[in-house]
Amino acid sequence: MSNILIIGAGLAGLVAGWQAAASSTRRVRILSKGWGATHWHSGCIDVLGYYPLSNEQPVEVPLERLRLLIANEPHHPYALTGLEKIAEALTALQTLCQAAAYPLHGSLEQNWLIPTAAGALRPTCLAPQTMSAGDGRSTAPMLIVGFADTVDFYPHLIAANLTQQGIPAQGLLLEMPALQARHFNYPMTLARLMEQSDFRAEMVQRLKKQLAASPALDKAERLGFPAVLGLDNAAAIHQELEEKLGRRVFEIPGLPPSVAGIRLHHILLKAIRQAGGEVYDGLEVVRAECADDRLMQVVTENAGRPRPHRADQFVLATGGILGGGIVTDYAGRGREVVFNLPITLPHSRLDWFKQDFLDPGGHPIYQSGIRVNHIFQPVNGENQPIYPNLYAAGTTLAHAEAIRERSFEGIALTTGYTVGQLVISNYLAQGGNRGQPH
Amino acid sequence: MRTMQTEVLVIGGGATGAGVGQDLALRGFQCVLVEKRDLTHGTTGRYHGLLHSGGRYVVKDPKAAEECIEENRILRRIMPHCLEDTGGFFVATPWDDPAFGDKFMAGCQATGVPCEEISIAQMLREEPLLNPQISRCFRVPDGSADSFLATQCVGESARLHGAHILTYHEVKHLLRQGDKVIGAVCHDLVHDEDVTIYADMTVNASGAWAGQIAGTIGVEVRVMAGKGTMVAINHRVLNTVVNRCKMPADGDIIVPIHTVAVIGTTDVRVPDPEHFAIEPWEVQHMLDEGEKLIPGLKNMRMLRAWAGVRPLYQETAVADTRDVTRAYTLLDHEKRDGVSGFITITGGKWTTYRQMAQVTVDRVCEKLNTQRECRTAEEVLPHLPGFEPHHQYHTLGARLARAEAEKGFGELICECELATKQDVERAIVQGQAKTIDDVRRDVRLGMGPCQGGFCTLRVAGMWHSLKQTPVETTNVTLRDFLQERWKGLMPVLWGSQLKQERLDELIYLSVLNVDHLPGEKASRLGPKMYEPGTEMTQPHG
Repeated sequence: MSNILIIGAGLAGLVAGWQAAASSTRRVRILSKGWGATHWHSGCIDVLGYYPLSNEQPVEVPLERLRLLIANEPHHPYALTGLEKIAEALTALQTLCQAAAYPLHGSLEQNWLIPTAAGALRPTCLAPQTMSAGDGRSTAPMLIVGFADTVDFYPHLIAANLTQQGIPAQGLLLEMPALQARHFNYPMTLARLMEQSDFRAEMVQRLKKQLAASPALDKAERLGFPAVLGLDNAAAIHQELEEKLGRRVFEIPGLPPSVAGIRLHHILLKAIRQAGGEVYDGLEVVRAECADDRLMQVVTENAGRPRPHRADQFVLATGGILGGGIVTDYAGRGREVVFNLPITLPHSRLDWFKQDFLDPGGHPIYQSGIRVNHIFQPVNGENQPIYPNLYAAGTTLAHAEAIRERSFEGIALTTGYTVGQLVISNYLAQGGNRGQPH
Repeated sequence: MRTMQTEVLVIGGGATGAGVGQDLALRGFQCVLVEKRDLTHGTTGRYHGLLHSGGRYVVKDPKAAEECIEENRILRRIMPHCLEDTGGFFVATPWDDPAFGDKFMAGCQATGVPCEEISIAQMLREEPLLNPQISRCFRVPDGSADSFLATQCVGESARLHGAHILTYHEVKHLLRQGDKVIGAVCHDLVHDEDVTIYADMTVNASGAWAGQIAGTIGVEVRVMAGKGTMVAINHRVLNTVVNRCKMPADGDIIVPIHTVAVIGTTDVRVPDPEHFAIEPWEVQHMLDEGEKLIPGLKNMRMLRAWAGVRPLYQETAVADTRDVTRAYTLLDHEKRDGVSGFITITGGKWTTYRQMAQVTVDRVCEKLNTQRECRTAEEVLPHLPGFEPHHQYHTLGARLARAEAEKGFGELICECELATKQDVERAIVQGQAKTIDDVRRDVRLGMGPCQGGFCTLRVAGMWHSLKQTPVETTNVTLRDFLQERWKGLMPVLWGSQLKQERLDELIYLSVLNVDHLPGEKASRLGPKMYEPGTEMTQPHG
């Protein structure tokens, strides 16, 4: 029996679990099929990168454009959380990461422009300390360093694109014996190698030799690496590299799995467990059972037999189409997989897509999701809560194009944060002190 | 404007055009082949990959059946590395008339297509996913063909024997001098300039586009475009080609090819081979029909859909495209229209491309007053440069075995299709790829479940280093390729594939921000999109 049961362990579910566990002594449990979008995204917190969507120019001051968005789109998840909660959620995550020795820098006052593994500059609100020196608003010359015998990072492409955008940059492929000896050098392999001081020492030595041999490369004031500079000691490793190389060092986000995202995932898991919450993965919630219109329990698919999980309050954070919380079929129907909640969906499959993959407005199907009221309770056609003890958070919510807006992590963070607190305060207000404190 | 001079100009880089080019080169003719995009960009690259035994046509079109079985035997000899000997079944489902089986058997005997009836138990032992309610099953020597690879190899053979193959050269119009065609004016899309090619003979092998080409000098060739839509299932649900044992109809065949299985096809007459849609009803119809062969198929993950246009030649107009012969036609415009120096070869099927090329070049010899023997039935095709010749049928797993044996095994650029760094490098440099899409056709990169999700950035990174061109050209070919993958994804995006596509959006827009890289958003070498679908249900009449 839990007091609060959260379904989904992406950014929204983890943040909700962290907030719920941290703000009360109630029993908080997260069930998830597997890990979520933290393993795919950039590792930054994008709050609003392009708005209005037709605007090619990145948002400079997220706060200003958020005001505009909230005014324009009253059903947008940000309009439901409100500016104050957005700012509070960002600060709370920054405080948590600071305590975990992995600082996230930034604020709603300005967006960073962080170089990507394609060489574009991505507007983002919070960037880890390991990335911030790459900011594209400075034109200090860069050297982009990749590794031979890997396939995910192409320093010359990145450097050429950055140069084209006004930041003088060069590319360099470093040969490392440890990588030559291995097959399949994916980001996690590199991150684990980076945790080893021998590997780092050899890398520093080889890089210094290259810098000393070439005045052109030596001009670089900052050094960009793939975002694999360590897993759980990244900030310390980053600092050590800066000291040894005598220049600013930054990471560049690229193809998944995202090491930088996994760091945030680890920090949140630890915070939840320290606050007394529990996280179980490998438990896919397949259905729910209720009595008198109130949710009583959910059922997970397990080896052997289905298993019920009772709780007082439930939070749905299974993600939208990407997370698997919403599935669609060829007849053009869509379904929320746990509670079979009503979802918004374009009327016909003919209306799901635009002709251009990169259409700035996005494809209408991806705005599908769950409609909620002002306290994030899923509602029916008459705007009445479907269950008094169910809440929803994250990209499962309707009325946002999180990828086109570059608000993917921002929506997850801020709605997860808000719901994590709401669910506790509403529970206590409903006399929830009868539950079992742990 | 550049000019070139040759003996024979071949228009069209599909199977037929490449076959004509190879046959000409083998017979010692000087020849230039022009194709408006890459080889196989037209119908050849957009069919289900069936190596016909002829079984499909034994009842309805015996002439086509005879051509098929004859060529089937030749192709097995000359391009074993491009074929897989899957064998084929013709099965009677509860929706089909079991008596058709007797007509089918008789037709096979009359046309010389080897055929034996096997027990349903035997059929299910070999293909356990087939509908157990199937009442009859006939085995025929169908197979599957990698039509990209085969045509590349035919082109390679042509090149080795001296032919010039000019891809991304679009014919603007034929050149006519009095009653003679003396060549054509082409547009080089890569360099954005015109090229005039003078030739003693011009062969129009442009398939469904043959009417448009001939039309540029006022010669009427009536080629109907019969659109066929196909859907690839994400799994290889069968190892045998399975056909319905009935008159050819929509969605009556599933072909296993490489790691997937393809359901085909519809047949809808379209007015223009360039502009047509993949209609939602077509996809749904394929799934509904496929379900009859393999129960549960509708719920499987679909990978992609595409549509090609069959060139269906008819001297007089016919209403239903299924009634048009699948046999080919050679038009001698000197006899037919009083225009010399110009012949058209059209109709036919991939399986008969070699025979079509042979009769075409026989006619070229006649016109140029020379007698040279055709050698294409004996000449085993070379493999692509950099590949060891495998004189065996290609099998699923052969590529994995090859990749595992390579030093750079770990350096997979495309995990789905096992394309290694060496493969991609070879395709970009030796293969002279003009776009990332050309690399795809060469090494199958981006053709697996994630449809370019991971390999697109990687190939762009390699492209930039190997091509040494301004970075904007890399950016635009990257965006063009994402758009090209999108083109075939859109019709089948629901369920898991929609989820997968959203991950690709997360990677390319959110993480990498490629929509804001410098350079053009799209280029003239980018994909030509299908028209937007508008019909959820099949229109009547």
